[in-house]
Amino acid sequence: MDKLQGRVWIFDDNVDTDQILPGYAMAEDASKLAAFAMAGSKVADFAKQVQAGDIIVAGKNFGCGSSREQAPVALKSAGVGMIIANSFARIFRRNSINIGLPVMLADVGAKLQNGEVVSVDLETGEIHTATGVLNGQPLSENVLATIRAGGLINRVRQELNISSGRKS
Amino acid sequence: MNFVERSLAEAAGLLTVTVGQDVRCRVDLALSHDVTAPIAIQQFEQIGVDRVFDPAKVVLVIDHIFPAATVQARTSHWIMKDFAAKYGVTLYSKSEGVCHQLISERHRLQPGQILVGADSHTCTAGGYGVIAIPVGSTELAAAMATGTIDLEVPETIEVFMTGELRPYVSGKDIVLSLMRQFGVDGLTDKAVLFTGPGIAQLPVEERMTVCNMGIEMGAMIACFGGEAKEEGVAASIPLDLTQIEPMAACPFSPANVRPVAELGDIAVTQVVVGSCTNGRLNDMEKVVNVLRSHKVHPDVNCLIIPASKQVLDAMEERGWTKILRDAGAVVANPGCGPCFGAHQGLGTERDTIVTTTNRNFPGRMGHRAAKLYLASPATAAESAVVGKITTPGTLQREVG
Repeated sequence: MDKLQGRVWIFDDNVDTDQILPGYAMAEDASKLAAFAMAGSKVADFAKQVQAGDIIVAGKNFGCGSSREQAPVALKSAGVGMIIANSFARIFRRNSINIGLPVMLADVGAKLQNGEVVSVDLETGEIHTATGVLNGQPLSENVLATIRAGGLINRVRQELNISSGRKS
Repeated sequence: MNFVERSLAEAAGLLTVTVGQDVRCRVDLALSHDVTAPIAIQQFEQIGVDRVFDPAKVVLVIDHIFPAATVQARTSHWIMKDFAAKYGVTLYSKSEGVCHQLISERHRLQPGQILVGADSHTCTAGGYGVIAIPVGSTELAAAMATGTIDLEVPETIEVFMTGELRPYVSGKDIVLSLMRQFGVDGLTDKAVLFTGPGIAQLPVEERMTVCNMGIEMGAMIACFGGEAKEEGVAASIPLDLTQIEPMAACPFSPANVRPVAELGDIAVTQVVVGSCTNGRLNDMEKVVNVLRSHKVHPDVNCLIIPASKQVLDAMEERGWTKILRDAGAVVANPGCGPCFGAHQGLGTERDTIVTTTNRNFPGRMGHRAAKLYLASPATAAESAVVGKITTPGTLQREVG
């Protein structure tokens, strides 16, 4: 599960959470959020076009703005396999990891084409294209452990069960 | 160590911490609202514990969509009511106010204590010296279960304030000036600590406004320290308050900031005064000072949303709500109002909105092409009267 393959969607700098999941959709049930993924962005029909495993490749400060976890949940539910960006806003980055959606730092937007298929190794940070290899920042051990556990909740369960012996 | 590091060390039970260190901190208050709480509750129940870490330290607030604008919004209210009843935590469910204002009135922590809030503007509490960490729902769920939060010790940037603010310039103009300087990601993952002799003139309400928009620069923590220079900061940036003039963030970024005086003729169709940024009594006073002797322009909807019932009660006692209504403004119930685009005053592509809120991203308050200008209450009030974006003091000088 540390290697992912998917089609690339290129986005610019400063894609904010109102673009990823607009305010009017925030109260929707989690099961319906996928339909609103990127509905406020320049690709308003993203949710209709996205395929399972697709990879968002963005510029700097992806996910800036609100703490709404609905934003990464919408992307993950719509099928987005991971997000690569020059930089992430802090809360969005942590939210994504906490729900088991991998995020990786890499400056590759200008080197990739929309729709191109790449495969990414989360452990090494290598991004394999049809013509070569680009380098991103490998995920830290701590982040990989959360992703492998399927998110923070499973990690907390593990920790609480270890410390208290409680069975849940 | 600086104030932020000392506070994190204390909360982690350590004598010292260094930048980049991973620490597990004690949580003194865990906060969420009707947009973030439902997911947090769902995640909390996945963990499988039978109680929250301390019911007295968990607060839920219905502020984002009240009264419910949709059936789904009301469903969120019920999820919170059920959770509060089951676990014995505090729930505010009757429009008592925006969560950040409400906890400052009724659950105020001490400087250096740790607030974890599932809302990006949790940083508002830095105005009274609290180390306030904004998180998402899952992290809040973990904090409600364990009473701790895992953090990395951030680099601290000090903003050292000197000088006196000019008339009609307030905390909002200070933070908009900082937005212009740092941009939307200039403080990402960092702490920003406001110090210097200049802070003495800023009441807590204005300090809360300054900290409120720390997140718009990407900051992990924004808070006020003391007047003395801090030890152990990564950088200290001087800020001469005397130089600050009324500012506005133009469409479509909080960092697209220009002096109001340089904006030229921009017709306005709606004015919003309120939110966790600028919905406090001192903000309302600035609006009343203008609307006491001027009417709202015929082409403008002027929406006033007090940040809390306590603010609204104080306005009532002073006769301000009547003054505002008689001038042509609408006073809505305490809460978030239209700030985040779910109800109570959304715009179309024909609207130009001057708002005292904190974000002007495309579509933030309705249509993607609705033009949003972020400004101070003083700027908003005079713009509501003139029908164009107006430098505050223009009308008041005419009267004086």
